[in-house]
Formats: sequence, structure tokens, C-alpha cells
Amino acid sequence: MITKLNPGKIAQLLTQSTRQLDADTLSALVAARQNALKKQSVRAPVFELSTGRQTHSLIPDSAQQWVVAGLFVAMLIVGTSFWHHVQEQQLSELDVAILTDDLPIEVFVD
Amino acid sequence: MRSSVIAVFLLLCLVSASASAESWRALTPEQREALAPLVQQWDTLPEKQRLRLLETAKHYSQLTPEKKQRYHDRLEKWSKLTPEQREAARKKYRAFKKVPTEKREQVKQMVMEEQAKKTQQQASGIPTASVIDQK
Repeated sequence: MITKLNPGKIAQLLTQSTRQLDADTLSALVAARQNALKKQSVRAPVFELSTGRQTHSLIPDSAQQWVVAGLFVAMLIVGTSFWHHVQEQQLSELDVAILTDDLPIEVFVD
Repeated sequence: MRSSVIAVFLLLCLVSASASAESWRALTPEQREALAPLVQQWDTLPEKQRLRLLETAKHYSQLTPEKKQRYHDRLEKWSKLTPEQREAARKKYRAFKKVPTEKREQVKQMVMEEQAKKTQQQASGIPTASVIDQK
């Protein structure tokens, strides 16, 4: 015997039968649902980049990323240049010391 | 975005501008005074050497008259050394500075005496071996 049931009728029957379940079965179902939800949350990504892309390329593809990359390169250049300047300054101080020392330059030159 | 690109470009310009060595005519009067013994060869010196000499010239105004004289007297010889010779001299100087003061003074005294002797002998026309040659 095939009875035609619409979705509304099915929902009504399910609600009716749920009301007939005893407390133990209901709490077991609640526990199983909580357990399933916990497992699902573990599978969800813990950390995600703001781009939301699955794969990340090294080449920036947005204006914001280009700005960040540009600033990084600029900072690198300025940093290297500053370090070089400090090195040169130390070297020049040493040269002045040699050029003005009590001892003649010949003592240090081969 | 555009302003950031301009800022990066300006920074790069600044970095490259700070690393350019100038010709003798473009030097400031203070730089010319400090580097006066090199007036003839300045424009022929390698850029790297000119930059380094310009760095040393920054200290010139703070030197005592005696040290200014020494700086001028030694500048030409220093500029004629090869980069390797200058580097070796720096290494020797650094090593010498690490020697205990007492021993350093002894060496200084010895060198001064040798120099005085040499000057005296040169004045009287007797050829002599220098301290460096004996080393």
C-alpha cells in the first residue's frame, strides 16, 4: 500500500513521533548530535588567510598586497643602505685614525 | 596605491643619490680644503675611493692643527695605495690598537727614534735603511 505523503505531513508525523520518545532516547539523541557537531568543528579550518583562497601564489594579486610587497622591498633597500652607510662610516673613522696617528703611515703599509 | 609607488620610487632615488661621488668642482669649500692634496687626481680616482675619502673629509674640521697637517701629508700616499694595501693597513692598525698600551708606547718610541735617526742621517747625506725595510 502506497500512501502519498507531502513534506508537511512528514514533518508533522516526525514531530508527533518525537513527542512519543522517552527521555533516555531523547538525551541519547541530543548527545549524539552534540558529538557530531564537535567532530564537524574540528574539521573546519582553524586559521584562514583573509583572501580565502585555497592556494596562495607568491605574486601579489591585489592592490593591497602590492603595496605591502612594495613597502617590504623599500624597507629592505633602506635597511641595507643604512647598514652599508654605517660600515662606510666606521671605515672612514679608521682611515682618519691611520692618516692622523702618531705613527707614520709606512708602519702599517706593506 | 599610486602614492605608495611614488614613495617607494622617491626612496630609491634618495638611496641612489646618496651614493654618487662628485667631481672636484662640485665639492664644497670644506671638502676641497680637506682634500686639497688630491686636487690633481681627484677626478681620476675610482668612485668608491672618492666616496670613502669624502667620508674621511667629514672629520677634517674636528681635527687639531697637528692632525690636519698629518692628514694632508699622508693623503696623497694613501690615495695611491691599492685597495688591498689599504685593507692590509687597516688590519694592521686594528691589530696594533689591540696591543697593550705600554707595549704600543714602546713601539712608538722605537719608531720615533728610528725616524729621527733617519732624518739626521739624510741631512748628513748617509743612506740608511728605514724601519719598514728592516721589518
